[in-house]
Amino acid sequence: MQGKVGVFVSIGIVMAEQVKKEQAVSGVPMVTATIDGREVTVPKGTTVLEAAREMGIHIPTFCWHPKLKSVGACRMCYVEIERMPKLQVSCATEVMEGMVIQTASEQVLQGRKAVIEFILLNHPLDCPTCDKGGECDLQNHTFAHAVDDSRYSFKKARYTDGTDGTTFDDKRLGPEIVLNRNRCILCYKCVRANKEAFGEYDLGVYERGNIAEINSAPGHEVDNPFSGNLVEICPVGALTNSDWRYKIRVWLTQTTSSICNMTSSGSNILFYKEKNHNKIYRVTSRMNDSIDDGWLPDVSRYGYQIATTEERLKTPLIKKDGKQVEATWDEAMTVIHNRFTEIAEKKGKVCLGGLASPYLDNDSLHSFNKLFRTVFKSNNIDFRSDYRMLPEGADSPYEMLVDQPFTIADIDDSDLIISFGSDLIREHPNEYLRMRKAYNFKRAKVVSINPYAVKSADIAELEVIHSIGRAETVLNGICLAAMEMGLVNNQDLTGKIAPATTAEAASDAGVTEDDLKEVARAISSAKKISFICGEMVSRSIARDTIASALWNLYLLFGFKDKGQMAILPRYANSRGAGSLGLLPSPSDGLRNTLSGLWGCFPESDPNNTDAMLALMRKEEISGFFIIGANPLMLYPDRQFVTDGLERLDFLVACDLFETDTTELADVVLPLSSWAEYDGDYVNLEGKVQHARQAIKPLYQSKPAYEIITMVAEKFGAPLFESIEACRKEVDELLSMTHSTKFPSQFLEVKPCYEDAEEEYPTPLLICDDPHHCGHRTEKSQSLSNFVSEAYIEMSPEKAEKLAVKDGESVRVESPVGKIVVPVRISDCIDNNVVLIPRNFASTQVTSLLMRKRRLDRVKITKVDE
Amino acid sequence: MKEVIKAIGNVFISMPKGLFVTFKHLFIKPVTLDYPKQKNPMSPRYRGKHYLERYDDGTERCVCCGLCAAACPADAIYMEPDETEKGERCAKVYEINLLRCIFCGFCEEACPEEAIFLGQEYEFSAGDRDSFIWTKEEMLVQHPRKDNPLKRVIRRVRKVYGVTDKVK
Repeated sequence: MQGKVGVFVSIGIVMAEQVKKEQAVSGVPMVTATIDGREVTVPKGTTVLEAAREMGIHIPTFCWHPKLKSVGACRMCYVEIERMPKLQVSCATEVMEGMVIQTASEQVLQGRKAVIEFILLNHPLDCPTCDKGGECDLQNHTFAHAVDDSRYSFKKARYTDGTDGTTFDDKRLGPEIVLNRNRCILCYKCVRANKEAFGEYDLGVYERGNIAEINSAPGHEVDNPFSGNLVEICPVGALTNSDWRYKIRVWLTQTTSSICNMTSSGSNILFYKEKNHNKIYRVTSRMNDSIDDGWLPDVSRYGYQIATTEERLKTPLIKKDGKQVEATWDEAMTVIHNRFTEIAEKKGKVCLGGLASPYLDNDSLHSFNKLFRTVFKSNNIDFRSDYRMLPEGADSPYEMLVDQPFTIADIDDSDLIISFGSDLIREHPNEYLRMRKAYNFKRAKVVSINPYAVKSADIAELEVIHSIGRAETVLNGICLAAMEMGLVNNQDLTGKIAPATTAEAASDAGVTEDDLKEVARAISSAKKISFICGEMVSRSIARDTIASALWNLYLLFGFKDKGQMAILPRYANSRGAGSLGLLPSPSDGLRNTLSGLWGCFPESDPNNTDAMLALMRKEEISGFFIIGANPLMLYPDRQFVTDGLERLDFLVACDLFETDTTELADVVLPLSSWAEYDGDYVNLEGKVQHARQAIKPLYQSKPAYEIITMVAEKFGAPLFESIEACRKEVDELLSMTHSTKFPSQFLEVKPCYEDAEEEYPTPLLICDDPHHCGHRTEKSQSLSNFVSEAYIEMSPEKAEKLAVKDGESVRVESPVGKIVVPVRISDCIDNNVVLIPRNFASTQVTSLLMRKRRLDRVKITKVDE
Repeated sequence: MKEVIKAIGNVFISMPKGLFVTFKHLFIKPVTLDYPKQKNPMSPRYRGKHYLERYDDGTERCVCCGLCAAACPADAIYMEPDETEKGERCAKVYEINLLRCIFCGFCEEACPEEAIFLGQEYEFSAGDRDSFIWTKEEMLVQHPRKDNPLKRVIRRVRKVYGVTDKVK
């Protein structure tokens, strides 16, 4: 007995010491207080509200948000603290040693009741027409505090300024957002979120005192790419969006937890659906602190509308006499079987290829892989349809960098965040918000290195804008600067990189020497770094050169011990497709596992998207299976793809709706969206997340997994006994010990510049619009309310030179094509670069591009009316 | 002998006595009604066919808030909201399935806009089940109308629930 007690005591002492140690490590002293008779110990600086929530005590709030700083505007979170004469707002009171707090005493409840009565003075009782009715904080708190009468007998205030004279005094603030200032309780949550979390200033508080109101900045619309969050966090129905406005009452809906299919970080979302109607009504966030922090970019929030649009493909289509006619699934499968067999017999060798979309779930991608490798015995398979001239080997510097581990939540703790070659708002909105959070709360240093002035650089301490196409020289320059200043001891790099001095590198890259030195100094002094590389690296033809330069930087500064560096994947399941081996030549480990699982692995030549398209032109690939992808719209050489696909004997294309690619197809199959089936997705961190089925497949569409297994069954080779068997194989592949590779020594970097052409002087960048992603979001009504047609974004100086105004059309010509697009003048772009979004099919912007070029250069001329 | 006299007495005394009651009723107003030519006035608290009220200017009172459907114990009400040209909320579809409705009047109680009322109409029969689904158009009162025959009922409802009389 004595012994046992001794053990417990010693364990207790050890644990207490551990706690002390942890405190000492984190450097934050702990304080103890009593809330509602229970003791709680929290780090100093925690507010009473947070401490109470940790204990499971609910304190009602309006203006408090876990991811924003407190303002104490609504006074709803009153608590009683001993030895304080008046009630205190718990969201803005820090816990002090020995505090005794009551959260539900008589006085507190009376105080809260008075607050509600005050709020209701001018709040209209139009709950029947208000969309928030049923999920309204004010409604709930009013009900909970039994406020059933008002002593106010005067007329309620009405804000009619700027409204269109309707009874509700609604004012449209932007393409999606509608404001009703009568309902507003001035908690400032929207304005604070807009400024603090999103860095946008298009919404503000105007006037003061009794007539203070929320409004959009004069002459501006609220159309930032995070505006949907403002509606979600509004505690009353003051901000509503067109998407959900007057559609359905919230209590009639059911929620399904799912994963966003538009961003690669896999934001956690909730689908709101009505079971009888098999229809999704809206999407809200499902706060996941390690991924999305509760904020959803608009593309995630309104992107679900691609599933509910009327333009969905309804039945399979088969091309007969040059025209696509409706058919049944059986007919389509028979045609696919007959034609593929016929082609294989005629050619006598591997002549089939497949292209999957990285939006698909793991089961679909894995079954597609198995279909091609085991049934068609082909290594012509890929999932990358928008990158020019893809790398071949799995050991290239680029592929090694893509495989690097990256944790989104670690951005929070970094004291230096570098975004390199990445327009974060367009590519990785969630990571962009993390960066802002680190800047706001931890004062992290932000460095942006880009060929043009990206919008996300507004918080950057240092913005390095280099000449386009000189990314590797900038990186070399940083390495050289570090060596010259003696910040690093390692000198092995000398001779491996060109140019030889910082000054030369700076002049080559079009930046100042001081900038390079400043970056080198920042990296070497930082304790924890997040280095985010984006699409300007991964989509460049010189991706291996840039990646080598990045590796040199990695090794020189010892990133392994103090941070993370990765080229982030772009699509919902890009990472999953890579780790499932949906590449022409997967790594040896994957290949062995796959052949172990399937008992065979084809020996034919591996060809990636680019090589497959080249073989199609030579008529060596005659049958092609595209599932979910749209290479015609996204591959950076439209003519090349058109030539390839047109020479095919037989093309099967599956998609949600008719696209440029399905128009060329001999058989078109309707695909279900991600909301219509259960699936797992691997986000950019490598985290596997499950998206549940929200609605049944619409029309006659089928999930990709079903389509693929149907095809395999038609060929007499069923892939899996059941979907569980498939999931087991996927689990095995994903649980493979993934060894991230590093180059052992510094890599040689020889910059490869392209000479500018006189005739085509302006470099052109193609990327996503902040409100769109890939080829599908064009069909989302809400997203096209923001931006519905392509534009060419240019700086005011450039526009002045061309003598064009905002909205006027210009002709954009490259050596291979020309298009006409309207101009959008923006401050967020460097003077000589122009930018066109690729999300709009009708513009055919990829017809300007050439696949073997590093930079696309164009000539811009004004269209004479 | 006694029985014979009693029987004769029954015939000549009791029968005219009874027939007198019959004859008397020839001149009394009958309690039965010649339905359907004649109809009985219903109690003011009777709950019959639903109707949807309008404002004086003819706009519909219903804003499709869904409270009637939420209150309905028989799940008989189906509605789809819409936005009018003025940006107001209105009902695009408003249907009551009569075969499900139990005429409890909860919808009337729940309605915050005083839009739905259970009227006095009780004659509804049809040859097929589809006809028992009343649409908004069938239930809306006519506009303009000279006289509101159910004003009395509405007044009563207002009084019961303490609502000030807004409808004239």
